[in-house]
Amino acid sequence: MSGNILEVKDLEVSFTAHGRTVTPVDGVSLTVRRGEALGIAGESGSGKSLALKSIIGLLPPNAAARGDLRYALDEKEPIPYSPTGVHGHGISIIFQEPMTALNPTMRVGDLIAEGPRMHHGLDKNAARTKAVELMRRVGIPTPERRAKMWPHQLSGGLRQRVMIATALSTEPRLLLCDEPTTALDVSIQDQILGLLQELRTSLGMSIIFVSHDLAVLGELCDRLAIMYAGRIVETGPTDQVFANPRHPYTEALMTSVPSFDASAEQLQGIAGRPPDPRNFPPGCRFAPRCGYVQGDCSSAVHELRTSGDGRATACIHPELIEGVKE
Amino acid sequence: MSFLEVTDVTVRFTVGSRLAARIKGEKPPILTAVDGISFEAERGESIGIVGESGCGKSTLAKAITGLVPVASGSISLDGRELAGKRDQALRRRIQMVFQDPSSSLNPSLTVEKMLSELLRVHQVVPRDEIADRCAELMDLVELPQSLLEALPRRMSGGQRQRVGIARALALEPDVLIADESVAALDVSVQAPILNLLNSLRDNLGLTLMFISHDLAVVRYVSDRVIVMYLGTAVEDRPTAQLFDDPRHPYTKALMAAAPKFGVKKAPGESALKGEPPSALNLPSGCRFRPRCPLAADICEQIEPDLIGPSETQRAACHFAWEENEIPA
Repeated sequence: MSGNILEVKDLEVSFTAHGRTVTPVDGVSLTVRRGEALGIAGESGSGKSLALKSIIGLLPPNAAARGDLRYALDEKEPIPYSPTGVHGHGISIIFQEPMTALNPTMRVGDLIAEGPRMHHGLDKNAARTKAVELMRRVGIPTPERRAKMWPHQLSGGLRQRVMIATALSTEPRLLLCDEPTTALDVSIQDQILGLLQELRTSLGMSIIFVSHDLAVLGELCDRLAIMYAGRIVETGPTDQVFANPRHPYTEALMTSVPSFDASAEQLQGIAGRPPDPRNFPPGCRFAPRCGYVQGDCSSAVHELRTSGDGRATACIHPELIEGVKE
Repeated sequence: MSFLEVTDVTVRFTVGSRLAARIKGEKPPILTAVDGISFEAERGESIGIVGESGCGKSTLAKAITGLVPVASGSISLDGRELAGKRDQALRRRIQMVFQDPSSSLNPSLTVEKMLSELLRVHQVVPRDEIADRCAELMDLVELPQSLLEALPRRMSGGQRQRVGIARALALEPDVLIADESVAALDVSVQAPILNLLNSLRDNLGLTLMFISHDLAVVRYVSDRVIVMYLGTAVEDRPTAQLFDDPRHPYTKALMAAAPKFGVKKAPGESALKGEPPSALNLPSGCRFRPRCPLAADICEQIEPDLIGPSETQRAACHFAWEENEIPA
């Protein structure tokens, strides 16, 4: 498996409070190939952000992560790494809200220069030059002037570009994106997605892009992983997953999105609400809301079953949903 | 005459510190959030308003609801002028559902207290019928009766938004304004709320104004769409025609920028470069000119009017209706 840059196996994130343990991320396994953009889709509370943050060791202090994380530096095989040790060395992350994620007491040029100075030992002037260069690279006009500005003086789109420049400053091979365009207007969102796509091809970076927005994921990602209630329920190439979902949750999610080009059909939505992490249902966690539910679903053992075409589903009755499609 | 008529409505805010401006001996800067918008709506019509943040779409909604004062222009409902101070009966007729249901509901009131207070204060029904009416309202928004006793924090986001809708409907309004009412919800929860709004409109004959930045959502609920840019309407046309054949370059760019589910498209292909200019410092002539791919000399000198071949087909661009001038 030399093509993989990241391998995550049986990742679990749990919180203990008042003597009870909740596990919002419960056995997530995924791989990212070199240069690939992997999308993780899911609704709020599905554990997608926590899974992402545990890759780079940014979990809140009361969370405990377990699992096998492997990362491939250079052209080698993926080897186990310490999530907190990769800061500035190969993996970077960008967040949703650029205003709260940028230090408001630092000029943006210094913010971008901090990574190279701390991790790569650049001196002040070299780091500053590099910061201006990076700002130009991510499409910030008049970077020399803007490097001296404070985050609050910039617009949302520019702040997000500053955050991307900060992430790129340590030359990552893998960029983690936690809903980076959700807070932006569509025209700015399009510009940022275009920038990420362009950076990915020109720098050969891999990307993990977490979002609730299937349309955004469809534009950027080669492969998708759909998360529900702390588990991945389906993976596969984006086009194929959209064309022919093999998990009822994926299908339900897709029929909830208003389509841009046809307005007539009725939106389905999903009955009920996502389960509480303190009280996940037994067996398949989607079973109580599933339209295809069978008697044995509530005792199903969660397992992503791969089929030969690079896809996998956790549904134990994928033939039911396939049957409807034909 | 139409049911709801909005004529040349302008809303202005003073920004920055008045004191600081006075010390400097200057006038405080004035921001024109809504700049001369006119449109009409019939009873039972559903109007979508789209635009990016800061374009004034929420301010327009608040002006129509009466939550911010109108600097000039008139708003009339069923022939009655609303732009000045409204009495209690007039206030009831236009109601609003807000974006974030967790911050727009009183956290210390149960749903029943929230609804019965409204029914009592506005004397919608006699006192002994209040409990029955609360139950009816819960049915209307498809919530179980048991939630009448619940506090907002015990409810999910979708349930809270339904309570927000029930609260607006309690006053039996003629016009319901939904300001980004599904933006904070997950897609699976958003779909049933959109369906609910559609069915309420059909069953109660409500005039619906749906404000959103999400084009696909607006398409799903609206008969007609008004596209706003920096305080003005740039295009106002029936939904199907607007989406199939947008005329204003801003509408086109917005549609090109929006990620479309089920349509393969590469990101970053939109013609929209840069960001909207500040509303405090508008460019001369057409406001969209600095970002417009079609900008010509005339655009710098003359601000285009919202005009078109008919009252229902209007766009504010000098080149909107010259068939062959517009690149596809």
